[in-house]
Amino acid sequence: MQSLPLLPETAPFPADQIAALNRIMGNATAEQRAWLGGFLAGHQAANLAQPAPAPARKVGLTILYATESGNAEALAGAARKSASRLGFAARTVDMADTTPAEIARAENLLILASTWGEGDPPERATDFMRALLAEDAPRFDKTRFAVLALGDRAYVNFCQTGRQIDERLAALGGRRVTDRIECDLDYDADAAAWLDRALHEIAPEPEGAAVIHVDFARAATEAPSRQAPFDAEITEHVNLNGSRSSTRTVHLELSVAGAALAYEPGDAIGVVPSNDPALVEQVLHAAGLAGDNDLHTALRERYDITTLTRPQVAAYAALTQDATLGALANDEAALAAFMAGRQVIDLLDAASHRLTEAQLTSLLRPLPPRLYSVASSRKATPDEAHLLVAAVEYDAHGRQRKGVASMDVIERRKAGGSLRLYLKPNPHFRLPADPDRPVIMVGPGTGVAPFRGFMQERDAIGAKGKNWLFFGGRNFTHDFLYQLEWQDLLKRGVLSRLDVAFSRDQRGKIYVQHRMWEARDELFGWLRDGAALYVCGDAKAMAKDVHATLLRIAAEQGGMAPEAAEVWLGELRRAGRYLRDVY
Amino acid sequence: MTKHPARPLSRNEAIKEESRFLRGTLTEGLSRAETGALSEDDTQLTKFHGIYQQDDRDLRAERGKKRMEKAFIFMARLRIPGGVMTPAQWLALEAVAQERGNGTLRLTTRETIQFHGIIKSNLRPAIQAINAALLDTVAACGDVNRNVIAATIPYRPAAHGTVAALARAISAHMRPRTGAYHEIWLDGEKIAGDEEEAEPIYGRAYLPRKFKIAIAVPPLNDVDVFAHDLGFIAIEEDGRIVGYDVVAGGGMGMTHGEPDTFPRTGDVIGFCRPEQVIEVAEKAVIVQRDWGNRASRKHARLKYTIEEFGLDWFRAELERELGYPLQTPRDFRFERSADPHGWIEGDDGLWHHVLFIENGRVRDMPGHQLLSGLHEIASVHRGNFVLTANQNLIISGVTLEQKPAIGALLAQHGLDRPVSGLRRGAMACVALPTCGLALAESERYMPDLLTTLEEILERHGLAADEITIRMTGCPNGCARPYLAEIGLVGRGPGTYNLYLGGAFDGTRMNKLYARDVTHDGIIAALEPLFSAYARERADSEHFSDFVIRAGYVKPTTAGNRFHADLSPELS
Ligand code: SRM
Ligand SMILES: Cc1cc2nc3c(=O)[nH]c(=O)nc-3n(C[C@H](O)[C@H](O)[C@H](O)COP(=O)(O)OP(=O)(O)OC[C@H]3O[C@@H](n4cnc5c(N)ncnc54)[C@H](O)[C@@H]3O)c2cc1C
Ligand SMILES: Cc1cc2nc3c(=O)[nH]c(=O)nc-3n(C[C@H](O)[C@H](O)[C@H](O)COP(=O)(O)O)c2cc1C
Ligand code: SF4
Repeated sequence: MQSLPLLPETAPFPADQIAALNRIMGNATAEQRAWLGGFLAGHQAANLAQPAPAPARKVGLTILYATESGNAEALAGAARKSASRLGFAARTVDMADTTPAEIARAENLLILASTWGEGDPPERATDFMRALLAEDAPRFDKTRFAVLALGDRAYVNFCQTGRQIDERLAALGGRRVTDRIECDLDYDADAAAWLDRALHEIAPEPEGAAVIHVDFARAATEAPSRQAPFDAEITEHVNLNGSRSSTRTVHLELSVAGAALAYEPGDAIGVVPSNDPALVEQVLHAAGLAGDNDLHTALRERYDITTLTRPQVAAYAALTQDATLGALANDEAALAAFMAGRQVIDLLDAASHRLTEAQLTSLLRPLPPRLYSVASSRKATPDEAHLLVAAVEYDAHGRQRKGVASMDVIERRKAGGSLRLYLKPNPHFRLPADPDRPVIMVGPGTGVAPFRGFMQERDAIGAKGKNWLFFGGRNFTHDFLYQLEWQDLLKRGVLSRLDVAFSRDQRGKIYVQHRMWEARDELFGWLRDGAALYVCGDAKAMAKDVHATLLRIAAEQGGMAPEAAEVWLGELRRAGRYLRDVY
Repeated sequence: MTKHPARPLSRNEAIKEESRFLRGTLTEGLSRAETGALSEDDTQLTKFHGIYQQDDRDLRAERGKKRMEKAFIFMARLRIPGGVMTPAQWLALEAVAQERGNGTLRLTTRETIQFHGIIKSNLRPAIQAINAALLDTVAACGDVNRNVIAATIPYRPAAHGTVAALARAISAHMRPRTGAYHEIWLDGEKIAGDEEEAEPIYGRAYLPRKFKIAIAVPPLNDVDVFAHDLGFIAIEEDGRIVGYDVVAGGGMGMTHGEPDTFPRTGDVIGFCRPEQVIEVAEKAVIVQRDWGNRASRKHARLKYTIEEFGLDWFRAELERELGYPLQTPRDFRFERSADPHGWIEGDDGLWHHVLFIENGRVRDMPGHQLLSGLHEIASVHRGNFVLTANQNLIISGVTLEQKPAIGALLAQHGLDRPVSGLRRGAMACVALPTCGLALAESERYMPDLLTTLEEILERHGLAADEITIRMTGCPNGCARPYLAEIGLVGRGPGTYNLYLGGAFDGTRMNKLYARDVTHDGIIAALEPLFSAYARERADSEHFSDFVIRAGYVKPTTAGNRFHADLSPELS
C-alpha cells in the first residue's frame, strides 16, 4: 500500500488524469519519483531560460465573460494570462460593456458565462443576451468560438446561459472549435482542461512550445483563496435579532490581521464551511458505514453532503439497482417532484443500500464555499472584516434542514474560534468614485450588509454625498439590524435619510418597494440629480419588486412610457448608477 | 397663574406651557422611522392623549448587545366613562389588540381598557380604529380629569343608568378642548380656533397633576370612592337618587422612604343635588388647578393641597367658587368593595353576569378562553358590556331567553368554573414587563401567590370566605392596595411590603405589617394569621377587622397616620 500523499483533488488536472497520474505515481519507486522530479524541474527551468518562440504573427483572442458573482470574470482573467503567455493577443470583455455586433467581429472567441436566477443570464448580461437571441442578431460567420458554462447542478436549468450562447452562436454561423463544457461549482480542473483544449484548437502550438498548464487553483498573489483560505479569528459573534424574533442574523467580526485581504466595501468574503457533524453521522448511517476518522473528516470538511443533483439520483439508482429510483431518474417530471426540497440524505434513505467508502464519496460533490458581503470598511476597522449571516432553517419532507454555512457560523462557531475565508472581490458593486455623488441604498435583511460598509467608508473619508437607506425586515422591534448604528449615522448627518419597511408589524405586508413608492417624488429627484442606486439582498422577490417599482416611478415621475422607463433604467445600469448585488 | 407658593415649577409645567395645547413635536416624532420612541418631552404630552411610551422590560438586558435601542412600545388607555360599552365596540377593540397591540386587552381599575405593546408605527392606525368604534383615548392619562368611574351595581340597572350617565356628563364637561388630538392622531388637519378660549377649565398649563373622580352607590363601594381626588356617594330616598355626598382628597400613591408622601382616604365635605354635581366637580378642579403644588409632582395631588391648607379651607374655597354652600352630608353605609359575582337578576327583570377576569387581562389560556369566549358572546349579546373598577366585566342586560345561550358560551370557553373567595376579590396592577415604574412583579406573580394562599385557606376551612387582597409592583398604588384587607406593595425584585387591616368595605386603609418579604415570607407571615382567624374570629367578622381586634396591626385612621402607629420592630 502506498502511503505517500498523492495529487490532491485540487491539482490542475481533470479527475481522470489525476487518477491516472496517481496510479503511475502510486506504483513508482522512490527512484523513479526522484527522477521525475528532477526532470520536471529541469524542463521548467529550461523553458524559463528560453521562452518558447511566440507565433510569428500574434493570434487575436477575445475572451468574453458574463458574470454575477465574479467566477466567470476571474476565469476569464486567468485565461487571458495563459493565452498571452502562449503568445495570443488576448483581451477580456465584459458582456455588460459590449454588444453582439461588436463581438461578431472577433475571429477567435472564448466565452465564459454563468447562469443565475432560475436559468437566467447574469443581471448585467441581460441586454447582450436579449440582442443575441433577437431575430436581428448579427451573423458570426467569421468567428471560431468555444463556450465554458458555469453553473450549479443543483439547479434545474443547469448552465442554461452558456448553453443558449453556444447553440445560438452555432446557429448564427459561428464555428465551434471545441465542445462546450458545463461546469459545476468545482470548476477549476474542468475549466483548465477546456482552456488548454480550446487554445490548442485555435492556434496549435508551434513545435517545441512550452506546455503550460493553466493552474486556476493557484492564484497569482499570496492572497487567501478558495483552495487556501485564511483562518480568521472570530472576535465577535452576536445575533442581532431580538430573542423573540422569528429569525437569527449573526454579526461576525473577524480578525484578518496578517492576511492579504484588501477588501473594498461591496466585496464579498468567501467562507469555507464545515458540515453539521450530526448530519455526517446520519449520512454514514444511511450508507451503512461506520467510517473511520478520515472519512468523518472528509464528509465534514470536503464533501457536499446536502445538495442533491440529478446526476446523483441517476448514479445512486445505478449503484443500488433500485428499480423505483431507476424509473424516477428517467422521468423528468417525477424526478423534479422528487428533488424538490430533498437532499442527499433523502436520496440515501429512498433506497437503503450498503455503500463502500469509495462509492459514497464518488457520489458526492466537493463542498462549495459560500459568499457573504463584507459589512465593514477597512478605513473604520483596518484589521477586521465584518459579516452579517442570516440563518437558513426550514423543514422539508419531515426533516429539519439547516443551511450548511449559515448554521455552521451561527450554531457551531463562537467568538474566540475561527472561520476559513478568502476574498471574493466584486468590482461591480462599489461606491461611486465621486464622493459627492448621492447614493440610494436598498437593502432589506442581510442586504444591508454592504451598505454598512459603504457608510463606514463614506464616514471615514468624509464624503459629502448624501446617503439614503431603505431597510426592511419582519418586525421593527426584533429585526432592526444595526439600529443604533443607523441612528448614530443619522444624528451625525452621514446618513441623510432612512426609510424602513417591516412586513409583519401590521396585517398588510409592507416592503421596501412600498416605501420607495411612497417616497417616489424625492427618490426620482435624487436620481435626476445623479444619485447612484444600489440594491442588495434577496433576488427571488425583493430585487424584482424593487426593479418593477423603479419602472413605475420612472413612468409616473418622469412621464415615461413603459419601454422608455426600461431604457432609462438600462442607461442607469450602464452608467453604473443602478447596481445590484442580489442572491 | 398658580397660587401655590412653591418654586421653581417642575419641568413638566414648562413642557405643558410650551406645548401649544398638547401638540409639542408629536407629528414629527411619529414620522421618524429610525426610532420606536418619541422625544422625551413629547412622551409627557402623549399622556394627555391617553398614550404612554413604555419599553418591554423583559428585553432590556439584551438590547444594547444587539445594537438596538430599548424595545419601545406604547400603552393606550381608553376613556370609557362609567365603563359602559357595546358588544360591537368590544369586537372593534379586540381587533385593535390583535392587529396593533400585543393581542390582549387589559381591563383596568378605572373601568376602562388598555392596549399594550403598540409600536410607534401602529399608534395612529390604532387610535383611528378606536375612533371608528366611537371611542377615544382623550385625557385617559395626563394632568387632567381622568376617566370618570361609576358604581356598576348590576342588581340595580336603573340606578346604574343614572350614575353612568352622570359619569359621561362629567367626563364630557371636563374633556380637554384642544384640537391637538384630532390633528395628531386622526386626520392631520390643523383645526383653527382660539385655543386659549378652547381650554376654559384647564388653561395652557392644565392641572398640576392627574385628577380622578368616582361615583358610588351604597352599599356597594366597588369604585373605592375614598381613593380619588373627588368622590360622589349617591344618596337615595325611596329608590330615587336625591343627591350626593361629596368626598375630597383621596389618593393612593406614595414613595418608599418618603414619609411626607402617603395614601389618603378622602373626607366627606358636604352634600349636593344631582344637578349641581358637574359644577361641584368643575369648581373642585379649578381650586386644585390654582392651588395645587406645581413645583413638586410628588406633592401635586389634591390630597396634599388639602393636607397643606386644611379641609375647611378647601371647602370654603370650593364654596366660594360655587357661589353657594354645600349642604350637610347625609348618612350612607357601605358593605363591600369587591364585585358581586355570577348571574344577578336586576330590578328591571334582566340578567347580568359578573365575569371574573383575573387581573383584568383578557387573553386565551389553555382551558380558559377569555378572549375567544368574549368574542363569541359579544357577537350574540344584545345588551352592554360594563367594565368594573375591580377589573371585571359585566355582561349586562341579558334577557331570560338569551341567558342559556350566554351561559353555554361561558361554559364552552371554561369561563364558568368556580373561583375562590380570595381570588375573586383580588386585584393586581400591571407592573412588569410594561410599567416603567414597577419595582417588582405584580400581575404575573399574583395568580401563583393566590394558588399557594388558597391551599392554606382551604386547610383552615376558609376557602369560601371573601378576603380582599391587592398587589402592586410599586407604591403608586394602581390597584388601590392600601384599601385592601391584605395589601402587597413591591419593594424590589421578589420583595414586598405586607399591609394588613384595610376595611372590607373600603372605608379604612391598611397598615404596614411586614417589610421586604419574599414569597416565602408572605406565606410565613399570613399562615398563622389565617389559622388564628379561623379559630378566633367573631361571627361574620372580616379578616381585616380581626387582625386589628387581635392586635396584629393598629387601624389607620387617616392618610397622615398611614406611616404612624407601626409595631415597634418596624418603626
Ligand atoms: C392600568 C392601571 C392599573 C391596573 O392594573 O388596572 C394603572 C397603571 C399605571 N399607572 Fe396607575 N394605573 C391604574 C390605576 C391607578 C389608581 C387607581 C385608581 O385610579 O382608582 C391609582 C391610585 C389612585 C391615585 O391616583 O392616587 C394609580 C396611581 C398611579 C400613580 C401614583 C399617582 C400619585 O399621584 O400618587 C402613578 C405614577 C404617577 O402618576 O406618577 C401611576 C402610573 C401608572 C402607569 C401609567 C405607569 C407610569 O406612569 O409609567 C401604569 C401603567 C402600567 C402599564 O403598563 O399598563 N398610577 N393608578 C390603572 C389604570 C386606571 C385607568 O384606567 O385610568
Ligand atoms: C454575492 C453574494 C453575497 C451574499 N451575501 C450574503 C450576506 O451578506 N449574508 C447572508 O446571510 N447571505 C449572503 N449570501 C447568501 C449566502 O452565500 C448563502 O447562500 C446563504 O448563507 C445560505 O447558505 P447555507 O450554506 O447556509 O445554506 P445551504 O446549505 O446552501 O442551503 C441553501 C439552500 O437551501 C434551500 N432552501 C433554503 N430555504 C428553503 C426553504 N424555506 N424551503 C426549501 N428549501 C430551502 C435552497 O435550495 C437554498 O439554495 C450571499 C450570496 C451571494 C451570492
Ligand atoms: C441565486 C443563484 C441562482 C443560480 N441559478 C443557477 C441556475 O439556474 N442554473 C445554474 O446552472 N447555476 C445557477 N447558479 C450557480 C452559478 O451559476 C454559479 O455559482 C456560478 O459559479 C456563478 O458564476 P459567476 O460568479 O461568474 O456569476 C445560481 C447561483 C446563485 C447564487
Ligand atoms: S402600581 Fe406601580 S408598578 Fe403597578 S402599574 Fe402602577 S405604577 Fe406600575
